[in-house]
Amino acid sequence: MKMGKRFFLIALILLSISFNFSLLFSATPLSEDEIQVKVRAISKTLRCAVCQSESVWESNAELALQMRNIVRERVIAGESGDEIRAYFISRYGDFIVLKPRVRGINQVIWFGPFILLGVAAFLIYRKISTWIAQATPIQPSEIAPIDDAGRDRIAEALKSYNAGEK
Amino acid sequence: MSTTSSIKTWQLVLPLAIIALVVVFYHGLYGNPSYIPPVIVNTPAPEIIAPELYEGKEMRLSDYKGKVVVLNFWASWCRECALEHSSLLEINQRYEKDPRFVMIGVNYQDKENLAKEYLEKHGNNFQHVRDFAGKVSIDYGIYGVPETFVIDKEGMIRHKSIGPIIGETYTNLVEKVIDPLLKGEPLKGENG
Repeated sequence: MKMGKRFFLIALILLSISFNFSLLFSATPLSEDEIQVKVRAISKTLRCAVCQSESVWESNAELALQMRNIVRERVIAGESGDEIRAYFISRYGDFIVLKPRVRGINQVIWFGPFILLGVAAFLIYRKISTWIAQATPIQPSEIAPIDDAGRDRIAEALKSYNAGEK
Repeated sequence: MSTTSSIKTWQLVLPLAIIALVVVFYHGLYGNPSYIPPVIVNTPAPEIIAPELYEGKEMRLSDYKGKVVVLNFWASWCRECALEHSSLLEINQRYEKDPRFVMIGVNYQDKENLAKEYLEKHGNNFQHVRDFAGKVSIDYGIYGVPETFVIDKEGMIRHKSIGPIIGETYTNLVEKVIDPLLKGEPLKGENG
């Protein structure tokens, strides 16, 4: 029992040390290069609100510069790319991200073309199936059996044909 | 499925798809490209901590909680701001005696001396703060100036106006936004 308690205590101390180390590691400030890489990556996904189809990273507009500075401040504060984008979306709406999010009405943009493609493929398949069905020759088994009147008609025709040949 | 019913499906689906495409293209081509639905309306107004233009002392928006706040973003280089300036002076003159009302100008991407010169030239009867790094403007989702926000007594943004406050926009702002908010009435239609 004593051994068990001691083992439990040691495990607890080791766990606490490793937890503190992980906290220490996660709190390590980012290097300037790491900050730049993150700012660049995030800024490239944000639209310059006053430019024509330019990202915040590419634009030289004053607003884009201010937005880049805000991205930088938030990266240094430890926010993730998604958190920073969420901040800008809460202020400017979905317009501010260059890649529309897959939610709400935006789903039409993402899935609409595939749905239309699927519907078109289905309609084409049905049309071709109809054409094939019409072009297939009738099998002998599908022909209704000949009745007596028909048989008589054929015999009559053969008779007149043979008479003509003679 | 018979050929006749297949043709009927095509005849129904194709025109509908074409009409849908035309509607989408028409909306894209002939709609107002600068109109972006304001997402910030009916959300809590972001806090503003900014230096006052003349005295430089720190102003906080939260100090005005319980009042209807008209927040106007402007710049000395902005022609449309000059166009609406007299309307802003009129609005403040109209409500300045009401303790439940306050008007604040936010000077956007500007130089201090130019901002002061502008106010001397066009007149001034309300306070202004400076937005140094664009933090206030970005917090309010500003695209350009002038833009005007109306914040209710609970600190919620209830109205956003893009462009100069003149003519019908002025009447609408006063009669359908500020007056009802001061009376504690809900806003109707596009203003709500």
